[in-house]
Amino acid sequence: MRKILCATRGGEASYRTQDAVIERALEEDATILFLYVVDLEFLKHTSHGTRPHIVRQEMDRMGNFLLAMACERAANKGVTAHPILEHGKFDQALIQAAQEEKVTLIAFGRPAEESVFQMSGLQELAQRIELETGVKTEIF
Amino acid sequence: MHTIIRYGKNKPGILLVMLGVVCLFILRSIGSSAATPSYANSNFGISGRVIDLQGEPVQGAAIELIINGESEANDDEHNNDNPSSQTDGNFFIEIPADDLDEITSISLTISRRHFHTTGLTASSDQLSQLKSQQSIRLPDIEMERRITAGFWVASIVFVLILILIALEKLHNTMAALLGTAIILGVSYVGGAFNEMLYIFDFQQALEYVNFDVIFLVMGMMIVIAVIEETGIFQWLAFQSYRLSGGRVWLLITILMTITAVASALLDNVTTMLLMTPISIQIALALGLDPLALIIPEILASNVGGISTLIGTPTNILIGSYANLSFNDFVRYLTPGVLIAQVALIGYVLIRYRKQFFKGRGVSPALMEMLQESGRITQPEKLKKAGIVFGITIVFFVIGESIHLIPAVTALIGAVAMLLWVSPDVEEMLSVVDWTTLMFFIALFIVVGAIQEVGLISMIAAALGKVVGTSLTTSILVLIWAAALLSGVIANIPFTAAMLPVVGFLTRTVPGATSNVLFYGLSIGSAMGGNSTLIGASANLVAAGISERAGYKITYVEFLKAGFPATIITVLVGTIWLFIRF
Repeated sequence: MRKILCATRGGEASYRTQDAVIERALEEDATILFLYVVDLEFLKHTSHGTRPHIVRQEMDRMGNFLLAMACERAANKGVTAHPILEHGKFDQALIQAAQEEKVTLIAFGRPAEESVFQMSGLQELAQRIELETGVKTEIF
Repeated sequence: MHTIIRYGKNKPGILLVMLGVVCLFILRSIGSSAATPSYANSNFGISGRVIDLQGEPVQGAAIELIINGESEANDDEHNNDNPSSQTDGNFFIEIPADDLDEITSISLTISRRHFHTTGLTASSDQLSQLKSQQSIRLPDIEMERRITAGFWVASIVFVLILILIALEKLHNTMAALLGTAIILGVSYVGGAFNEMLYIFDFQQALEYVNFDVIFLVMGMMIVIAVIEETGIFQWLAFQSYRLSGGRVWLLITILMTITAVASALLDNVTTMLLMTPISIQIALALGLDPLALIIPEILASNVGGISTLIGTPTNILIGSYANLSFNDFVRYLTPGVLIAQVALIGYVLIRYRKQFFKGRGVSPALMEMLQESGRITQPEKLKKAGIVFGITIVFFVIGESIHLIPAVTALIGAVAMLLWVSPDVEEMLSVVDWTTLMFFIALFIVVGAIQEVGLISMIAAALGKVVGTSLTTSILVLIWAAALLSGVIANIPFTAAMLPVVGFLTRTVPGATSNVLFYGLSIGSAMGGNSTLIGASANLVAAGISERAGYKITYVEFLKAGFPATIITVLVGTIWLFIRF
């Protein structure tokens, strides 16, 4: 059974990627694993007493909600999808999920114009992850 | 190897620790009042007051008595070791009663670091008066500031801190600590080689730390930490969604109101940290652009926080410095903030009107998840915490009449939370963000340094020239300058530095003794945080969460929404102050 790992968030750019991955899953009769990575790096912007685990709990809920939306989108087109929620740095979490789930393809979304990711940076990341995991990567 | 000390169930221990802290705090206050000398039992001599060119009292000026051309400073017989001026600038120096007939001249030399040394000689009338053992009172003695190398060091360090924080090159606390280290290092090491480099010593530096602020912030951190884990924020957000019945305009209005109230009673950053994730879920469930909920919430949070003493760190600084009570803020600022909030809601509804028609139905699975996210997780704890928090607020309100200062009220609330609601001291004390407290301590020292070397006096004098004696001009300049500057520089250091300046204007501008300028500073510095994305911490944390949901708030996008909001709310705030005062 083929498995496609697709890191996702929300927003129009993510929806476009989700749709493209769902189409590919339909073609290949594959299962999709949607991955959301909770990264609390933004908390460094504030010297504040809120306990990170409280914020993480809320971010987990939000991540699960975004994953549920993605899975629902796939289910509506007859594709089986499962959510995976990880914590920490994005690339490490992606590699870990790919290895644990023994996926056959890692899908990246084309960066939106306003995204912090540039295309060249994303290609570099995809190549590095392909090297480390031995799993084919593709930018949709 | 770490030694773990467990405090878990040791309630008497906690009580003792907290009581110890309270006692230290009280003793410190008593100590500081006891330090004020009493002249009632003095013999006879010369009294006076030392002031700077802006009329501000100069503390710690050494007064050297010179009789017949000889210094009396180290005269052990009379134990007359150079007295110095007190916090109000006043001094009294005794004249030795023996050999009065032999005195032909009496003069004083007044010296202090960062000032030019000045001197004066008693006139023949004054001399006769003293020789007949009658005290004399001199007219105010003005000391002129001296620009030393220390002045430049302190000023450059302060600007450097503002830049490092604004550009996010260093964490706030690290930047302030770096500044403190440079200032004290230069004072001690550099001062030993070149006296002009000396700024102040460690003892003087600590005198600038406002412990009222430190204890108030610490107490509120503990109170908020207990409340934040109960799920109340998320429940309120979900109830907003239910109450609105899918009407987007009503949802935005309710969410903004809840955010403003929560920010007024707790703090903006906690409110936005906990409201943003659930608000994004609500928006997505309804098919809305999440930014149409998040940005209005940020704006409401920054405005709402101004309405109380405990709502923003800047208000805590202002309240403590100007001795404004919780009720003062409620009386003089809350109504204006409410009006500004209404104007803000009106602006937001117009700006995001296109979103009103985008709402759609929610799938049962997503609704179930939303409901799960919006439930109260610890109802029993919430009940207890609610009671303690309610009583704490009552104490803030009645504190003025029972001589209870806000810092002690917050401490009592925190202790009550620890004893009754969440007795795991280890966990609770871990929520006290020591980095924030260190930030405040280091910041007070750095601001103290620029005060010590005279930069603040210069700014005050320059601003005094600009506004002249017009209260109207003072209010306008202060509010709008604070609002515009708070968008680009961190508003906490800015407010801390502006406090002595506003204090000077309050004393010198006719009609300003009502403290209107302090309220103006509060409005300007906090509402100005809405003008740019980096204007307030709440903006950045909300933007951080939003980006992780795939909805990036860009600098320009925030500016487009936030800048007009700032203009509108600051305008309302300005009009309110003119009406109220």
